[in-house]
Amino acid sequence: MGAMTRLLRGTLYGKGLRVGGLDGYERVIASIFGRPDRVPVIVQPYTYAMAMHGLGSNVFFREPEPFINASWNMATYFGFDFWSPVFDFYNIEAEALGQRLIWRERSEPDVDTREPLLASPEDLLSLKAPVAGKAGRMPFVLESYRRYMDVMGLPPICYCCSPFTLAVLIRGYVNVLRDMRRNPGFLHRLLEFLSMDVVVPWIDKMVEVTNAGIVAMSDAWASAPNVTTDMVREFCLPYVHKIIRATNSATRTVLDGGSWGEKDVADPREILDIKMEMMVPGNAFKPLRPFYVLVWNEDYEAVGIQTARAYTDEKKVCLLLNVRPDILESGPADVIVDAVRKLIREGAGDGRFFMLVNLVPLGAPAENVHTVVAAVRQYGGYPIRDLDAAFRPPAVMPFEEWRRKDGLQV
Amino acid sequence: MDLSEELAKAVTEGDEERAEQVTRRALDQGMGAAELLQKGAVAGIYEAGRRWQEGEYFLPDIVLATEAYGVALERLEPLLASKGAKPRGRVVIGSVEGDAHDLGKNIVVALLRCAGYDVTDLGVDVTAGGFVEAARDTVADVVGLGAYMTTTMRNMQGIIEAFGDAGLRDSVKVVVGGAAVTAEYAGRIGADGFAKNAAEAVELVDRLLGVA
Repeated sequence: MGAMTRLLRGTLYGKGLRVGGLDGYERVIASIFGRPDRVPVIVQPYTYAMAMHGLGSNVFFREPEPFINASWNMATYFGFDFWSPVFDFYNIEAEALGQRLIWRERSEPDVDTREPLLASPEDLLSLKAPVAGKAGRMPFVLESYRRYMDVMGLPPICYCCSPFTLAVLIRGYVNVLRDMRRNPGFLHRLLEFLSMDVVVPWIDKMVEVTNAGIVAMSDAWASAPNVTTDMVREFCLPYVHKIIRATNSATRTVLDGGSWGEKDVADPREILDIKMEMMVPGNAFKPLRPFYVLVWNEDYEAVGIQTARAYTDEKKVCLLLNVRPDILESGPADVIVDAVRKLIREGAGDGRFFMLVNLVPLGAPAENVHTVVAAVRQYGGYPIRDLDAAFRPPAVMPFEEWRRKDGLQV
Repeated sequence: MDLSEELAKAVTEGDEERAEQVTRRALDQGMGAAELLQKGAVAGIYEAGRRWQEGEYFLPDIVLATEAYGVALERLEPLLASKGAKPRGRVVIGSVEGDAHDLGKNIVVALLRCAGYDVTDLGVDVTAGGFVEAARDTVADVVGLGAYMTTTMRNMQGIIEAFGDAGLRDSVKVVVGGAAVTAEYAGRIGADGFAKNAAEAVELVDRLLGVA
C-alpha cells in the first residue's frame, strides 16, 4: 500500500472511520489526529542499534547502509510501531559549515566546544554557506534517507538543526549570551544567515530527495533554563517561523521541537506555549497544524503528566511523552511496567497520544526494551482499561537468532 | 561606591569587561588582592547565587556572572598564590572523554574556587589517563567527573577503575555530576558522591573533606 494511502487510512481511523486494522505507521498517524486502536510506541534506534551490531561510530554515523539496516533491525526486532532514521542531527549543518567535531568509537560525535567556529563576530564575514546536500556529511544523510525509503516504503521524517541551536553550536553558548546583551545586531545577522542561507536550502534539498511530509528542526538550546522565554521569543521564534513559511506546504509540515524546561519556570504553560508556537504555522493547510507537543520525562515527572495532558486537550493537539531512559538500563521489569502504566493511565486519554523511546542506554538489557513494547501492547488498547491486570512477559527470541532469520545484513 | 563594591556589582551583573577593568584599576591603586577577591569578586558571585536561588536570576545570568568572576580571579589568583594563601583542598575536574559540554562544570569550578579550593580544570573530553595524571601531579583530594550525555556517562566507571589501577583510589575521592547522571548511577559505579547542581557540588566536597 502506498504512503499516501496509509497516511489517509491513519488519518481517517483517527477521525473515527475505523475500517480494518492499522499498521504501526498508520497507528501513529491515527494518534496524531484522534484515537487509534491502541497507543503507539515509536523509537529512535540511535547508538543502541549501533552497539547491537558491534559497529563503531565512524561506520554508523558515516555509512548509510549499515546505519539504516542496523536501525531497522533494532526497531523491527523489538516490535516498535515506527522509527525515525535518527543520526546526530544537531551536528550536520555545523559540520558542513566547518565546525570541528569530536569523534569517539562508542559514542555519537559531538561539537568540540573548545573551538567554536565563530570565535569572534568578524568570523561571520568569512563564513560561507555550505552547498546543501554536498558539504560535510549531508550526502550521508540524503543517502540514508534513500535507503530508509527503500526498506520502509515511506518517506522519512527529515531532521535538521534549528538556527538558534546551530548558532550556539558554532559560536558557543557563553558567546551567544554575551551577544544577546552587547551585540544583538550581530546575533540577528548570524541567525538570519543560518536560517536563510543554511537551514532553508538544506530543508529544500532533503525534501527534493525524499518528498517528506514532516521536517523537524531540533532546538535543544532553546530550552529552559539555558535561555529565558523572552530570549526564545526574540532570538528563536522569529527565525523558526521564517523558515517554516519558506518551506512548508499543504502536504508538508515543518516544525521546531525537542526543547524542554517546564520544570524550570514558575508556570509550565510558558514553555508549553513556546512549544506550540514552535509548530505554528507548521503546515500551510490550517487543519493540519500543529502536530504534537513533546514533554520530556524530567519535566512531566516534575509538573505532572496531567498538566501536560490538560494543556494538549485544551489545544486539541497530540501529546507525546518519552519513556524515562534510565529505567531501560536499570529495570527491573516491574518498574518498567509501572512506568508504562502510569504514562498510559495519565496520558493516553481518549487518543491524541503516543509514546517515544528516545534513547535506549547502551547497557540496557534487551529484555527491558521488550518489556516496554509488550507493556504498551498489553495495556495501551483503546478504550484504556485493565491497567491493574498482571503483566504477561513476552516470549523473546535472542537478537542474533532473530537477525539470522529476519534481519537485514549489516 | 568603592572599587570592591564596583567589582562585586560587575560580577553580579555578569559584565566581565567591567570586572576586568575594575580589578585592574583597583590593583593599580594599591588595593590588596585578598580584600578585592573577598569583598569584590566573591561577594558578587555570592549575590548572583542568592538571586539564582531565589528565582530572580535565570541560568544565563549565573553563567555570565561566573564568567565575570573568572576574569577577576584570573588577575587576582597569582597575587594570592605568591603570598602563600592555603587552599581548602585540591580538586581536579573535567568533562569525561567524548563529552564536549562544560556549562555546568564551569559553574562548579567557579563556585569551588570561590569557596577557597585550588581547582585544576582539565576542560572537556578528558581521558581516564588525563584525570589520573592530573590527580597525581596536583596531589588532588577530590576528582570531579562531568558527563552530559548518556553515552559518555558510561566512561565514568572506567575512570574510577583507572584510579584503582593507579593505586590512587583510597587517597582520592571521586565525585560525579552532569545532566545525564543520577545518584543511583553514581552509587552503581562506585563513585564517592553525586551532586545535582553546582551549589550541591561545593557542599559535597566540603563534606567529603570534612571541612564543612
